[in-house]
Amino acid sequence: MQSRERVVAALNHQTPDTVPVDFGATAVTGMHCRMVAELRRHYGLADKPVRVTDPFQMLGEVDPELQEVIGVDCVPVPSPKNFFGISELEVHEQVTPWGQTVLIAKDIDLTPAADGDVYVHGAGDTNYPPSARMPNQGGFFFDAIERRGEVEDDDDLDVADNLAEFGPLSQADMDYIVAGAKAARATGKAVVLGIPGAGLGDIAYVPGACLPDPKGIRNIADWYMSILTRPEYIEEVFRRQIDIALANVERLWQSVGEDADVAYICGTDFGTQDSQFCSVDTFNELWLPHYQRLTNWIHQHTPWKTMKHSCGCIVPLIPSLIEAGFDILNPVQVNAKGMDPTWLKATYGDQVTFWGGGVDTQRVLPYATPAEIREHVLQQIEIFGAGGGFVFDAVHNVQANVPVANVVAVIDTLREIRGL
Amino acid sequence: MSVESVLELIATQTAAGKATRKGDQDGVDELVAQALADGAAPSDVLDALVKGMGVVGDQFAAGKAFVPNMLLAARAMSKGMAHLKPYFSSGEVKRKGTFVVGTVFGDLHDIGKNLVAMTVEGNGWEVIDLGVDVKPEAFAAAVAEHPGAVVGLSALLTTTMVNMEKIIQTVRAAHPDTKVIVGGAPITQGFADQIGASGYAPNPAGAVELLASLAA
Repeated sequence: MQSRERVVAALNHQTPDTVPVDFGATAVTGMHCRMVAELRRHYGLADKPVRVTDPFQMLGEVDPELQEVIGVDCVPVPSPKNFFGISELEVHEQVTPWGQTVLIAKDIDLTPAADGDVYVHGAGDTNYPPSARMPNQGGFFFDAIERRGEVEDDDDLDVADNLAEFGPLSQADMDYIVAGAKAARATGKAVVLGIPGAGLGDIAYVPGACLPDPKGIRNIADWYMSILTRPEYIEEVFRRQIDIALANVERLWQSVGEDADVAYICGTDFGTQDSQFCSVDTFNELWLPHYQRLTNWIHQHTPWKTMKHSCGCIVPLIPSLIEAGFDILNPVQVNAKGMDPTWLKATYGDQVTFWGGGVDTQRVLPYATPAEIREHVLQQIEIFGAGGGFVFDAVHNVQANVPVANVVAVIDTLREIRGL
Repeated sequence: MSVESVLELIATQTAAGKATRKGDQDGVDELVAQALADGAAPSDVLDALVKGMGVVGDQFAAGKAFVPNMLLAARAMSKGMAHLKPYFSSGEVKRKGTFVVGTVFGDLHDIGKNLVAMTVEGNGWEVIDLGVDVKPEAFAAAVAEHPGAVVGLSALLTTTMVNMEKIIQTVRAAHPDTKVIVGGAPITQGFADQIGASGYAPNPAGAVELLASLAA
């Protein structure tokens, strides 16, 4: 089987010839740029500055050479703008706080500020305070800066303020995406297309790091509390967000068409380590109908499979996520409470594809021995892989300071299974 | 309404996260002011707040209340606690101890840390919240300022949890007997033991229990 065929079989719950693998097709299934450099070094690939594909998390491009080594079956459609609303069309060399030379979007400057930390401004507009910060000591990526406190007076609220970052794709952005999808399709691998603006209440985005001067509910605690205290407002944000996303999806389908296989919809985390961020009832009332509007359209008009990311323990929410129309769940945080691989596969394995769960990145990958990691990977593949419905990926991105030998253990185990 | 009824309502409204007056219903802010005006002992008011936070904390630990509920309850509790500040200052109401808490350097996440800080405060401790991305020296300086304080370290990331050990070492180099407790999504009891922490708790209610056992 070719890569795409292998992934499509797995997504259709048919047994592929071997386990399909993703590293780098989304911003939640990637690797930190430092790890990409270390892996390239380990596998004897030329030393060169790694292209940072997601500056927020400082993810590095899993480039074609490394894809070949790992046996990657999935590729992304690159986005014209990054998390900070900054163009990705041109890059320049920059040095990270840990001394690595990388290629990063031209309007991002990694030079530390006077306090030693690195700052980025929303949409690159330095007329306003920075929107994200990377700590110089011990930091390996950015986090959004909350530039707004809690909204004191509800009379000040206007739903449009929480929609400032969403809008129709420009023709230039559309052209870039279409060209990217075409190039991705030409690789023979499965193609993952991110649906712009469909992340409903993704807490990483709430502070509005892509905006020079965000307004509305932009404080993280305020947003979470508003789920209970201002449900009408939140619901209206979601409704209008999906209206915009639907219009973009229609145009994307017309232009990208079958050059994509998977539509990555939303990265909102509903799980904590041992619980959820909201009740099932709240999810069903606020989120589910709006996800359904989007996934229904996609399923009625396209062959794309829909992908939902949520970290943590989402056990009580899985039936609702399936009802919401998601075909694929990621990252399958197998060490969160109740997220037992055998139970998940037995209970939901015929209804959703598990895209992730291949290696526990929280407690196994950074700390176990390579031999233990090999056993772990083999076990995860045996459980999740039976009958398809599984794409191998680590539980979320591989982080900067994992011992490279441990990641090599994962890759070499995959190579062994797949006869590479 | 009798003082007892107001105190009972303070606990109920704290657990429900009602901070201020809404419609015809009083929030914790108004109820605490009323209770004190009606002659309730400040320590009884504190007990009512503690009871309310205890209820929601237990529900959270049991998966029956969620992060938004906890945030709302904590906000309500803070509104009530503001009225008690003069009584803490005068010594009329005693704190259970001092808890210095912060997210470790390199890590900018604070929801978990805030929930723990607010729950611990709502349990009657004085909380010194150092914020996020806190360097080892800042924790040591806070303990110097608050002798005998218990230190709480929070980390969300596998890349930053490793920084806890350095902080424990720095704090104890300056203040050898300092108790340091740790928490955060990737943390386990095993990791806590390995880095020499005095304890680990998986959630805010657990942190309160842990502090009680360390203070005993």
